[in-house]
Amino acid sequence: MDFIIEFLPRIFDGFLVTIQVTFFGVIMGLALAIPLAIGDLYGGKIVSTIIKFYVEFFRGSALVAQLFIFYFSIPTLLNIRIDWFTVGLVAFTLNSAAYQKGYIKGAMESVYEDQMTAALSIGLSKVQAIIYVVLPQSLRIVIPAWSNEFCSLAKSTAALLTIGGKDLTAAGRTMASQTWRILESYTFIALIYFLWITTVMKALDILYNKVKIPGLEVSA
Amino acid sequence: MADTVMECRNLWKIYEKITAVKDVSLEIKEGEIKLLFGPSGSGKSTLARCLALLTTPTKGDVFHRGECLTRPGVNLNKARARIGFVFQHIWLFHHLTALGNVELGLRRVLKLPKKEARERATKALREVKMEEWANHYPAQLSGGQQQRVGIARALAMDPYIIILDEPTSALDPELIGEVTDTLRALAKKGTTMFIISHEMQFAREVADEMIFFNQGMIVEEGPPERFFTKPSSDRAKRFMERLIKRTTKE
Amino acid sequence: MDPLSQLSFILWGVPTTLAISILSFLSGLALGIPLAFIRVYMGKPFQVMVDLYEKILRGVPEIVMMLLLYFGVGLALGLKPFDEAFFAVTFALGLRSGANQSQIFRGAIRGVGESQMIAARSLGLPTSQAIIHVMIPQTFIIATPGLGSEYALLIKDSAYAFILGVLETMKRTDILRMTTFDTVFPYFASAFIYILLTFPLATYLDMWGSRKRKELGL
Ligand SMILES: Nc1ncnc2c1ncn2[C@@H]1O[C@H](COP(=O)(O)OP(=O)(O)O)[C@@H](O)[C@H]1O
Ligand SMILES: [Mg+2]
Repeated sequence: MDFIIEFLPRIFDGFLVTIQVTFFGVIMGLALAIPLAIGDLYGGKIVSTIIKFYVEFFRGSALVAQLFIFYFSIPTLLNIRIDWFTVGLVAFTLNSAAYQKGYIKGAMESVYEDQMTAALSIGLSKVQAIIYVVLPQSLRIVIPAWSNEFCSLAKSTAALLTIGGKDLTAAGRTMASQTWRILESYTFIALIYFLWITTVMKALDILYNKVKIPGLEVSA
Repeated sequence: MADTVMECRNLWKIYEKITAVKDVSLEIKEGEIKLLFGPSGSGKSTLARCLALLTTPTKGDVFHRGECLTRPGVNLNKARARIGFVFQHIWLFHHLTALGNVELGLRRVLKLPKKEARERATKALREVKMEEWANHYPAQLSGGQQQRVGIARALAMDPYIIILDEPTSALDPELIGEVTDTLRALAKKGTTMFIISHEMQFAREVADEMIFFNQGMIVEEGPPERFFTKPSSDRAKRFMERLIKRTTKE
Repeated sequence: MDPLSQLSFILWGVPTTLAISILSFLSGLALGIPLAFIRVYMGKPFQVMVDLYEKILRGVPEIVMMLLLYFGVGLALGLKPFDEAFFAVTFALGLRSGANQSQIFRGAIRGVGESQMIAARSLGLPTSQAIIHVMIPQTFIIATPGLGSEYALLIKDSAYAFILGVLETMKRTDILRMTTFDTVFPYFASAFIYILLTFPLATYLDMWGSRKRKELGL
C-alpha cells in the first residue's frame, strides 16, 4: 500500500485534470449543443447541412484522430502552439456537443408539434414557444441521455494520454512503470474512475427524479 | 345588428395531395354560437386552424373584427393572443401545472405582472371549476379536467371568440358532461364561439346555427331545429340519423 | 511519399481495425444477449450481478481496461494470451460491449412487451422456447439501430489499440506522421477513413430497423 500513498499527490493532480476536462466538456458541450439543435430544427437547409457535417465528423471519426488533429494538424495549419490541456478542453467540448445535439434535438422533436401549436394559439411567438415550452420540457427529458454522455466523455478523457496529457490514466501509467506494481496500479486507477463516474451518474439520477414532472418521465 | 367578429371569404387549404378546405365562406357575429359538424377527415380541423391563423390558408382571406389577417405583415402572435383555441387532444403544456398553463400567456404574451397574472388565471380556473386543482400537473388530471384547464387557458386571455375543435371527442363518455356543462355556462354569458362537435343534444341547446361540413365544403347551414326535423340535404340527413342513433344507444 | 501511397499505407491498417471491432462486437453479442434475458427474467440476485457487471464495465475507461489486461494481467502476471496486445484489446472491448449490448437488448425486450411472452406461454411453449422463437427475433429488430451505433462505437474505440502498439489504422497513421513529418494529411485522412467505416453502416442499420419496426407494427 505504501506505493499508493507515495503516489497519491500525483494521482490527485491527474484526477483533477480528468475532472476539469470532463465537466468543462460536458457543460460547454451542452451550451453549444442547444443552439446546434435549434439551428438544425429551425435553421433551414444550409444551416442544417453544415451542422450535419460537423456532427458527422465528430461522431464518425475516432477520438484519438480528433485529438491528434487538434494537437498536431491545426497548430501546423494556423502556425500556433496549443498545449495538451487546451486541446483537451476544446476537442472534448466539440466532440460532446456533437453527441448532445442529437439527444436535445430528439427530445425537442418529441415535444415539438402539438406543444408548439398550443403555444402559438395563446399568442406566444415561435422564439417564446421554444424558450418557455419546448426547451423546459426537452431539457428534463434529456437528463438520462445526458448522464450517459457524461459517462462516455469521462471515460474518453483517458485518451489525453496519447497527446502527453497528465490525466488520471497517465498518472496510473507512471505509477505502474515506476513501482512495477502494474496490476495493482491499474486496478486502483480503474477503481477511482468507477467510483467517481458512478457517483456523478447517481447524482444526475437524483436530479432527474427531482425535476421530473408527472407525465414527462422517460423510462431508463 | 351585432358586429361581425370573425369572417372568412372563399377560403381554400390545399395540402400536397389533398384539398382539405374548398372555397368556404362564413361569418360569426358577436355573441353568436355556430356549431360545425361532419364526417371525420372532412377538413373541420383544418378550417378551424385557418380561422385561428394557426395555419396559413392557400387562398382566401380571414377577417377578425373587420381586419384582414391573411395579408402579409400582420402580427399573427398579437392576433392569436385574443383568439381562444381549444384543441381536440387538449395539448396542455406538460411541464406546467394547471395554473402555470393558464398563466403562461398572461405573463409572456400580455406581460402582466406576476400578481395580476395569478389573479386572472385563478379567476379563469374558477370559471371552469378547476380552482382547487390549480397546482396539479396535466398528467395528474382526468381528461375532462384537463380539457377544462384548456378552456380556462383560452378564456384567461380575454378572447373575443373561442374556437373549439371537438373539445369532447377525446374524452371517455362519462367525462363529456363536465366539459359541455362548462361550455353551456359560457354560452349563457354570451361568449362568441365557433364549436366543432358531434354532441347533438348539446348542439341543440346552445347553437344559434349549425353547419354541416363534408369534403371540405359547407353542405348545409341553418338553425338547429331544422337539422333535427327536416334537413334539406340527403347527406346531412343520413349523418344526423347515424349520430342520433349512436348517442341514444350510449 | 505521394498522398496516394500515404493513404494506402494507412488503409493497410483497416483489416486489423475491422478484425478488432468485429470480434469484440461478436463477443459482446454472446455476452449481452444472455445477460439481458437473465436481467429481465431471473431472480433478484442475478439482477444485482448483471447490474454490477454493467456498472463496472461502463464506469472504467476502455484504455484503462486495456492497460490493465495487457500490462497487468498479460505481462506482469504472465497470463496467456493477454500478453498479446491484439487479444487484450479485443477482450477489453468485448467485455465493455457486452455491458452495452446487455442494456440495448434489455430495452428491446421491454419494447417487445410482456404480452408476447404471455401469448407464447399460453400456447404451451416453455420459457426457453418462448425466448428463442418469439422474443429473440422481435428483440433483434428493435435492437438493430442500437446495435448499429454500438458497432460504430467499437470501430472508433478500436483506435485505442494503437496505445498498445497494435498495427491498426491509427498506429499506421502515427507511423506515417513520424516518418514523413507531415502533421496534417495523415490525421485528416484517417479521420475520414473512420467516418467511412462507421457512417454508412450505422445509417443503414438505423433505417432498416425503423422500417422493419413500422412494417411489423412493433
Ligand atoms: N398537415 C397536414 N398535411 C397534410 N394533410 C393534412 C394535414 N392536416 C390534415 N390533412 C388532411 O386534410 C384532411 C382533413 O383533415 P382534418 O381537417 O383533420 O379533418 P377533420 O378535422 O374533419 O377530421 C384529411 O384528409 C387529412 O389527412
Ligand atoms: Mg379534426
